Amino acid sequence: MNIDERRKRARLYDFKTWRDFPPMNVSMGNMLHNRTGSWRFIRPVYEDKIPACQNSCPAGNDIEAWIKLVQRGEHEKAYWHLKREEPFPAILGRVCFRFCEGSCNRVQLDEGISIRELERFVGDLVPSSTPHPELHPFNGKSLCVVGSGPAGMSAAYFARILGFQVTVFERLPEFGGMLRVGIPAYRLRRDIVEQEFEGLRSMGIDLKPNTAVGKDISLGECLERFDYLFLAPGVHGSRKLGIPGEEENPNMMSGLNLLRAIALGEKVHLGEQVIVVGGGDTAIDAARSAVRLGSHVTVLYRRTEAEMPAHPDEIAEAREEGINFRFLAAPDRIETRGKNSVQKLVCCEMELGRPDESGRRRPVRKEGAAFDLEAETIVTAIGETAAFEPMARTLEETGGALEVDEELCVKSRQEGRGRVFAGGDIVDGPHTVVHAVAAGKRAAVAIDCHRKGVESSEVLKKISVGDGVGLSFSAYMGWQPLNPVPGNLKTVVRSEHIVYDYFQKAPRIRNSPLPAVQRKASFDPYVETFSEEQALGEAGRCMHCGRCTECDNCLVLCPDVSVLVKGQGEFGYVFDYNYCKGCSICFTECPRHAITMADEEIAV
Amino acid sequence: MKQVIKGNIAVSHGVRLSRVKVISAYPITPQTSIVEDLSEMCATGRLDAQFIKVESEHSAMAAVVGSETAGVRSFTATSSQGLLLMHEMLHWAAGSRLPIVLTNVNRSVGPGWNIWADQTDSVSQRDTGWIQIYCESNQEVLDSVIMGYRLAEEVSLPVMVTYDAFFLSHTSEVVDIPEIEEVDAFLPAFEPRYRLDVNDPRMFGGMIGPDYFYEERFVMHKDSMEAVNVYPRICEAFEQAFGRQYDVCETYRTEDADLILVTAGTITSVSRIAVDDARKAGKKVGLMKIRMFRPVPLDRWRESLGNALRVVVVDRNISAGLGGVFASEVKSALFSLEKRPSVYSVIAGLGGRDVTPQDMSGIIEHVLAADGPGERPVFWGLKE
Repeated sequence: MNIDERRKRARLYDFKTWRDFPPMNVSMGNMLHNRTGSWRFIRPVYEDKIPACQNSCPAGNDIEAWIKLVQRGEHEKAYWHLKREEPFPAILGRVCFRFCEGSCNRVQLDEGISIRELERFVGDLVPSSTPHPELHPFNGKSLCVVGSGPAGMSAAYFARILGFQVTVFERLPEFGGMLRVGIPAYRLRRDIVEQEFEGLRSMGIDLKPNTAVGKDISLGECLERFDYLFLAPGVHGSRKLGIPGEEENPNMMSGLNLLRAIALGEKVHLGEQVIVVGGGDTAIDAARSAVRLGSHVTVLYRRTEAEMPAHPDEIAEAREEGINFRFLAAPDRIETRGKNSVQKLVCCEMELGRPDESGRRRPVRKEGAAFDLEAETIVTAIGETAAFEPMARTLEETGGALEVDEELCVKSRQEGRGRVFAGGDIVDGPHTVVHAVAAGKRAAVAIDCHRKGVESSEVLKKISVGDGVGLSFSAYMGWQPLNPVPGNLKTVVRSEHIVYDYFQKAPRIRNSPLPAVQRKASFDPYVETFSEEQALGEAGRCMHCGRCTECDNCLVLCPDVSVLVKGQGEFGYVFDYNYCKGCSICFTECPRHAITMADEEIAV
Repeated sequence: MKQVIKGNIAVSHGVRLSRVKVISAYPITPQTSIVEDLSEMCATGRLDAQFIKVESEHSAMAAVVGSETAGVRSFTATSSQGLLLMHEMLHWAAGSRLPIVLTNVNRSVGPGWNIWADQTDSVSQRDTGWIQIYCESNQEVLDSVIMGYRLAEEVSLPVMVTYDAFFLSHTSEVVDIPEIEEVDAFLPAFEPRYRLDVNDPRMFGGMIGPDYFYEERFVMHKDSMEAVNVYPRICEAFEQAFGRQYDVCETYRTEDADLILVTAGTITSVSRIAVDDARKAGKKVGLMKIRMFRPVPLDRWRESLGNALRVVVVDRNISAGLGGVFASEVKSALFSLEKRPSVYSVIAGLGGRDVTPQDMSGIIEHVLAADGPGERPVFWGLKE
């Protein structure tokens, strides 16, 4: 409106005397013409971001969204939302090492959310053979997955969603790799693993047991028969101690062999006293399994507890089960005594020296400080090595790991270049289940990019979550997020962004494990799945970092009435930019950082 | 229902019975227990009001300026430094013609740090445009809050109800607490003449140039003066409803008095004893209690004091460089009379120092023996 029009429109209030005055200082006309939005140089926008939990999940799991669905009581929706980023919630809900929980922003308030227990609750609710709602029709390309461990399963799952015809070759009679023959049954029930394979089968994935690639079918034949290969054989060899008395010793075994024998139902006799050498998860799994077979167990580790690679929870539970730890000690030689085959393990005390490449202090021998331990069986668990015959030469060259590029494409193979991918422990070395799942997802996306002739490195960058630990399969598929608001896949919401004043303290809900005496009597799991009431309670503790929950804080606190409810069943709010001055109160007071202040583009 | 309660609790009952919808306050000794009691009332649902926590008294007043502009009955309470921090917003509330009620517990102003009774905090707010009512008992405090809303909403000006720290705020007395239905009948729901409506937004407190600002202030002054006439009618209605009598000022045995004491707050109670003692001794002594201090009920002061020979104003406040504030105001009120009494100014009880009936009798003796009032105030009980 120009000045003249405005003058014409404006009514003049010519007060002749004080009697004409309004009773208070108030404008006679309304002020809607005063578009205070023109004062603004930054504008608020609703923008969902990446919560710290999702940022640290190797699988890029959209945790906040499915917890929100649990909170709403929509458990089946929660299950399928979970399955967008992760193939088997019932398994990861039991064995994941919970990288998410470690970075949960709620830790700064009271205690983090029991994300894994919630995942287990959701994973157990829906039968895994329920038809998958988001499968793409077959795309005419085939994928051969070598190894049915978590990496292979994950690749098969995501590739099948993408429309690949998938065949999985498993060397053993049972599927699951480490899930089946590595992780003890007290941590992961066998039937849970079997059910998940039922799920994969019902998706139309061809599962072939007792088929070792390199023996029953050659790598070359695989390359002829399939368009793509994904190698995920895992690492199933064990490193040796390299000390006198180790070779040809019938009373020594590797931790992995012990776990596999138990898993496959073979008869194992360990004797009364067992020594486990090593400090990783395999060592603890072997020690706790031996306890369940009735043995007394001592774990021998050459550094201190602080340097142990095993998960602290596992160490604590092992200790509860009566396992002895002998730190700062390394085996020197083994002497076999008499007919009862008692082994004498001669050890040397150690002390910590300067830090090595891993940053941990190097154990150094304390000369002259020797001592003996006796046991019927000695179990070694000082590291795994690859044992994948078709690639033996390559593996030797690379020190036991397969070399791949960023897209998990195998570098060293000339034949079938760009068609052979690899992932999981064979690439990373021994790692966790969720890392293997992440590798399978990455490979499936990379293979699909290759099929479409798209530059996969660019795509992978685009769909990487937050700092880039995990990938968003949903972003690759173009699936809509749960909140129908624009999202930012890269910005991570950390504790410094949370306005804790708006959250009330509430104790973390947890199921206590069975007492050690009871649980070590069998290989049965010893922690219950959450009840629905527990799940709803724990889901209710989620702060929904970076994601709008329609809490109305912005609506209530906007001093310019410029936050408007969308209404008519639509989610969320809109800003009225005609009047919003960009004061940032909504941004500052959003408890969960779901609002972003963006620079205003100023027309000059 | 009669209960033995402290002055601060009398305030929160007054607020509850007035069906206040928004409370915003910042705690300060000796006001804190008002805020505690009200916040508990809000939390437990005994009072259906929004309690807005703020970071200062300035914000507290700003918050109730906002809620009252939106047409909602609002309340705040403070004391001493808190009231001074509100000062800017006090002007704003009055200039905006918002009928807010505030209770101020009279406490001295530091430094030196002192939390006891002294009226310097509220008398120094006399030019903000707020109506001021001084109270002598816990019952009067409760009643003044309820009457305060009726007065404020009739003349569109904010009302400050004040009473002495500890002598009332933390001393228990018998108080008759009315039933809320009775108060509803006396105090109708607030019907603002203008209210902030987001669907028809107006500008409040906008700029007025030299052409009109002057007239606007005149209107505010005129309406303030009108309160002197409105308040007695309200007091009459209150007496009919509740049986308790109040007025803009109150007199005690002044009909034939040669000497009249003038007091505000709890010194009034001890002065009544001194007056009775003096009367027993055959001295014609009376008392005038100041209730409404802004606007000044000029005619009523002149009526009450004009026939005396001596008027003694006892101030529990000081305007350094002149003396007692009430004394100055009384002098100026009486100045236009053709025949006017001599006005003696006495400063007593600053910073919570006790003023006893013996002190008041001593002051009476001192004035009766004096040749004239002199130009300077008497500092009663000064350690010399």
